[in-house]
Amino acid sequence: MSEKTQIADIDRSLYDFRFEEDEQDRLSSGITPEIISEISHEKNDPDWMRKFRQHCLKVYNKMEMVKWGAPIDGLDINNIVTYIRPKSRMNTDWENVPESVKETFERLGIPKAERESLAGVGAQYDSELVYHNVRSEVARSGVVYTDLESAMHDERYAEIIKSHFMKLVPPTDHKFAALHGAVWSGGSFVYVPKNVNLEIPLQSYFRLNAKGAGQFEHTLIILEENSSLHFIEGCSAPKYYEAGLHAGCVELFVGKCAKLRYSTIENWSKNMYNLNTKRALVEDGGKIEWVSGSFGSHVSYLYPMSILNGAGASAEFTGITFAGEGQNLDTGAKIVHNAPNTSSYINTKSISKSGGISTFRSSVIINQNAVDSKSSVNCESLMLDKISRSDTIPAIDIKTDKCDVGHEAKIGRISDEAIFYLTSRGLSEEEAKAMIVRGFADNVSKELPLEYAVEMNNLISLEINSNVG
Amino acid sequence: MKTTKLNILPIPTFSHLGVNFTDRRIENAIYDNITLQSGSTDITKNAQCTLTAENGEHKSVLQYVRADNAVLIDTSVKVENGAVAVLVQIFDTTEPIVSKLNVDIAENAHFELVQLYIGGRDTVSEIKAELSGRHSGFVSDIAYKLDNNDKLDLNLIADHFGKNSMSKITVGGVMSENADKIFKGTINFKCSASGAKGTENEDVLLIGEKVRSRTVPVILCSEEDVEGSHGATAGRIDNAKIFYMRSRGFSDERIMQILAQAKISRVIEKINDPQTKHRVYDSLGWCDIYE
Repeated sequence: MSEKTQIADIDRSLYDFRFEEDEQDRLSSGITPEIISEISHEKNDPDWMRKFRQHCLKVYNKMEMVKWGAPIDGLDINNIVTYIRPKSRMNTDWENVPESVKETFERLGIPKAERESLAGVGAQYDSELVYHNVRSEVARSGVVYTDLESAMHDERYAEIIKSHFMKLVPPTDHKFAALHGAVWSGGSFVYVPKNVNLEIPLQSYFRLNAKGAGQFEHTLIILEENSSLHFIEGCSAPKYYEAGLHAGCVELFVGKCAKLRYSTIENWSKNMYNLNTKRALVEDGGKIEWVSGSFGSHVSYLYPMSILNGAGASAEFTGITFAGEGQNLDTGAKIVHNAPNTSSYINTKSISKSGGISTFRSSVIINQNAVDSKSSVNCESLMLDKISRSDTIPAIDIKTDKCDVGHEAKIGRISDEAIFYLTSRGLSEEEAKAMIVRGFADNVSKELPLEYAVEMNNLISLEINSNVG
Repeated sequence: MKTTKLNILPIPTFSHLGVNFTDRRIENAIYDNITLQSGSTDITKNAQCTLTAENGEHKSVLQYVRADNAVLIDTSVKVENGAVAVLVQIFDTTEPIVSKLNVDIAENAHFELVQLYIGGRDTVSEIKAELSGRHSGFVSDIAYKLDNNDKLDLNLIADHFGKNSMSKITVGGVMSENADKIFKGTINFKCSASGAKGTENEDVLLIGEKVRSRTVPVILCSEEDVEGSHGATAGRIDNAKIFYMRSRGFSDERIMQILAQAKISRVIEKINDPQTKHRVYDSLGWCDIYE
């Protein structure tokens, strides 16, 4: 009997393994001035950071929850442990990393990727970086790639950190930005000097192993004039029944004529609330490229924002979202055109399956000074069954006549005509469907480095079993 | 006095865009109850209007709204099985006004809406079309011409409940000087609407450095077997068009006028009544077209 095609859910077996918690200090759950003081004490924060954390806590307590987006009723911040210090301190030698942590990252393929295709790697386990290394030739070119806390305590970078930290994403931005400011821990600092072009990527990987915990890493990247960088970010966590929280923050400063590509493959487990904030400020002639794959988490709010602040600056966002059973992924992008001759392009795909909800949400703002600017937004959604849901909510706000803005969106299922055409060429129906879905996701996978494209294929796991019902 | 939330976006988005809803004070007032019949009706006072196209009937109605003394125009339309109704609404007013239009479209019924907004100091317009019947259809063709300090907030929601229902929303207009417009268009495919199709499109011509145009084209989908699409374009006049028309001897001012007329005339040409058409062109100051 001919049986139905089945497009499998994301195969999570690669990520759902877990080891005993390797924690030394696990602070009480919730967020209080005392807990914030303990984090400051633990990290030996400079004065300005101690005050900043407490200020953020006050902002957090005053701010209301966002009134739009996927429901986050299941998240009780009083049950979230905001800081967990693993037994191991930061290492630059992989051999010194504790066995269980090492095995975690080895199973995720991080050391192999470092050896084969990366200029540097950072690995965060729960609240702290456990490993950070950069190739010597890269360091000699003046590139700084280190953990943010070391940089904050290093007199060479302390002022840079102070003048950039949470300036793009102020704590007043939203409630979870304020929470992040209060309890942030870990994350990377990257500085690329003028005229330095880094040919091979840097990568940070964030792993949350502890249950009922939060991860609040902060990534700060500064590219000076005419430099370039590809930065890759990966995230995963094993599945627990308690809700976990990821409220990281990424701040990117792209200098004149500099180019930054920021690639993310996010695969948090389905108990996680992924409420992450990412923002880039782009100067004259600079370019930011976001490549984003959202596959995991129970609920996601993720809208990387590009502020095109210099003449001729540009932004490109390429993203794919796969929402399976029990997932509500609210993703998209924001662009602000704030200078003449700026351009932006958003191109996203989303797939909903097994009751998953995917929402594409975007905003493109063309300010009055952004004359001769251009923007194009394109989003496509594919529904794979009757019990899923897919919404698109794009918004365009134009404040000048001297611009050209276009938007296009499509929603639907795999078309019968396409299947008919492919079957008339000799493919089985199952093969035809598989080919169409792979093709749908292709625009993102081809933008990723090879090893990540392979990982994405694993994630999507577009397994079409011709004889599986 | 308490305010009322109007033009609520079915699923809210980023608050800073200011598009999730609008607040208006609506005073208690006396309303004229008007049963709309085929033909033209002038609306100059607060009015609650009803239009019913009974089974198999064909009705075509025109509302010309001059809101000198009006605050709220509330229109309900019921298009019964197999009926066809055409409603033309012309908003020719400088005073603030709220217009609500609720439409229920039954099986094999079809509703066509033609709307034209000529200026308007502060117009809030909400259209909710419920495609409840199988093979029900909704076509709307909406145009606006906004200049000076004109302000328009337009919220159109097409809820597809019926199998094989169809909606087509076309919106376009011209904005100049300090004009401010929000267009929110939602196609909502409910889980019962298999085979439904919906498209929406907005095309805005912007003339002036201080215009503000906000567009939120939304598709909500809880049914797999549907086809939905939306597109939006906004911007200035194409340089190639200007070059061509200049080479034909047109002044820049005349070029702007011709291109603006082209955007709006699409809708005006749908008005069957010659007198009303003349009245519209007069109001727009485009008598030369009519002559």
